Amino acid sequence: MQVGSDTSRARDTSVNGDWAIEAHGLTRVFGKNTAVEQLDLAIPYGTVFGFLGPNGAGKTTTVRMLTALIAPTRGTAHVAGYEIGADNQAIRQQVGMLTESPGLYDHLSALENLVFFARLYNLSADEANHAAESYLRSFDLWERRKETVGGFSKGMRQKLAIARALLHNPPIIFLDEPTSGLDPAAARMVREEVKKLRAEGRTIFLTTHNLTEAEELCDLVGIFRTRLLRLDTLERMRQGHQAQRIRIVLGGAAAPWLPTVQALHLVEQAVAEERCLMVTVASVQQANPLLIRTLVEAGAEIQYVEPMDESLEHAYLRLIGTEGE
Amino acid sequence: MHHMLTLCYKEWLELRHHRTLVAGLLIPPFMLTMLPIVTVWLSGFAPPGDMAEEMNRTLTDPALAQLSGLELGQAMIGQQFGLLFMMLPLIIPNVISSYSIVGEKTNRTLEPLLATPISTSALLLGKAFTAMVPAVGITWVCGSIFIISMARFTVSPAVFTAIVSPAWLLLLIIAAPLMSLISILLTLAISSRVNDPRSAQQIVAVLIIPVMLFFFAQTVGFVSLNIVMVMLLVLALAIIAACCLWLVVRLFQRETILTRWR
Ligand SMILES: Nc1ncnc2c1ncn2[C@@H]1O[C@H](COP(=O)(O)OP(=O)(O)OP(=O)(O)O)[C@@H](O)[C@H]1O
Ligand SMILES: [Mg+2]
Repeated sequence: MQVGSDTSRARDTSVNGDWAIEAHGLTRVFGKNTAVEQLDLAIPYGTVFGFLGPNGAGKTTTVRMLTALIAPTRGTAHVAGYEIGADNQAIRQQVGMLTESPGLYDHLSALENLVFFARLYNLSADEANHAAESYLRSFDLWERRKETVGGFSKGMRQKLAIARALLHNPPIIFLDEPTSGLDPAAARMVREEVKKLRAEGRTIFLTTHNLTEAEELCDLVGIFRTRLLRLDTLERMRQGHQAQRIRIVLGGAAAPWLPTVQALHLVEQAVAEERCLMVTVASVQQANPLLIRTLVEAGAEIQYVEPMDESLEHAYLRLIGTEGE
Repeated sequence: MHHMLTLCYKEWLELRHHRTLVAGLLIPPFMLTMLPIVTVWLSGFAPPGDMAEEMNRTLTDPALAQLSGLELGQAMIGQQFGLLFMMLPLIIPNVISSYSIVGEKTNRTLEPLLATPISTSALLLGKAFTAMVPAVGITWVCGSIFIISMARFTVSPAVFTAIVSPAWLLLLIIAAPLMSLISILLTLAISSRVNDPRSAQQIVAVLIIPVMLFFFAQTVGFVSLNIVMVMLLVLALAIIAACCLWLVVRLFQRETILTRWR
């Protein structure tokens, strides 16, 4: 699945290849269990991509394949223009990664943790210290840089782990459930950080099962459970079923008209709320003219008729089903 | 190269806070150094030992041929403990290297570590080097303390040269680092497959068996160290170390380490 260029932000000039992340038939099998099946993706540079799916959907497995940590059983993928399996070192250098658990050295100080990773990402000693300092300062951890990470709160660790993902200034960043387990303030702080990165034009692959978060941050959304069920821009995801749900605003109370509406065979569901009728129809083309004519003929005063946005949650639940989680 | 050193530096920083690990690291060498020194010193006052055993020993080791009863007793005790030293390069690194991969797993730092552009060989060598430097360093320091004490506490220069023989020095200087390397590589290989450092530590029990066998063989006068034997041993150790390296590189698959562990 590919998505139009309407999602691509101002492009980084140093980019490689057409897409930041591109996958074809990516599949990973663990024993008898298929974690990821036939995943096709094409994510333009500068996009915040929300990868949504329930627990055990295979999100982390996908992230691990795309960051060259584990090999796919079948299929290929390119990240920053480099092929996974062939150019793993190059991919690792191009990609910043926030793993599911922060994974910091508890016995080292915040500063030592960052400098260590920065050095592994091939920064010189000076650059490493400099980068570590600037992130510690911007994440309000500078005062505590000498404390060992073992004594840090969950939110502080998460900030530090995000800083680690950014040290080498990677164009592509994978964030695996960045706000899970954080209190609202810490989660907000992390989301603000994602917005900053987005403004800098970085490509972000954000794994989450928090739909509100995805709505707030993402340009492009993939709904995934072992297979990619849907890939679209957030706008289109929301509009996806708009034509099927309409709101009819009347001059007076809506409840008396409910039986009339429900009696129509093309109407799947109807709810009355004060002066509004919320109607779900099988097909707009056929149902709407009939619905409106029937109401007018019955004497209803229609003030206006409008399509209703489907929330991301609706789209998600429709695709994933309400079970699970 | 700089990845490897960066990793070593990190490991040593971590060791600062691992008090129990450091204690585990220092207690065996302390014991294995103090015990021989005290025993050799005390044996300077002891009556000569069992003649039958002495006869046997003088046949296998010419350095013992001209010694008096007292000298012989002390030289033999010194030689026995000199051999026990060879357990140090096996035991010391094991404590560190058994934690090195398992520790990254339990800390959950393995995944971010493997996500960096560090090569697998730099990772392995860094881990090995981290354990080898203290192992060889401590062995040599303890060896030097032992040599100095022998010079001081032996009853005659002949006893000193019988204990601190060229063969023993060769063992200390060249065989010890090779032995520590073998111990480390095997521990790393196991440590990448298990989730508990104790499982990885058990390998050391297997590794010290040859040292113990030699120790008992020498006790009963069956063999004694000589320079040719040690040179052959060094050669054999070098070959074994190379095999271990090959094995570890083969066993150490980044992906397997990550996915086998849940
Ligand atoms: N190393 C592994 N060995 C065997 N099975 C695995 C392994 N890693 C993942 N799986 C299986 O693959 C499936 C997907 O797991 P994954 O961790 O990718 O899901 P996820 O979408 O990240 O879930 P969550 O939201 O809980 O983090 C699960 O059924 C899991 O049991
Ligand atoms: Mg996951």
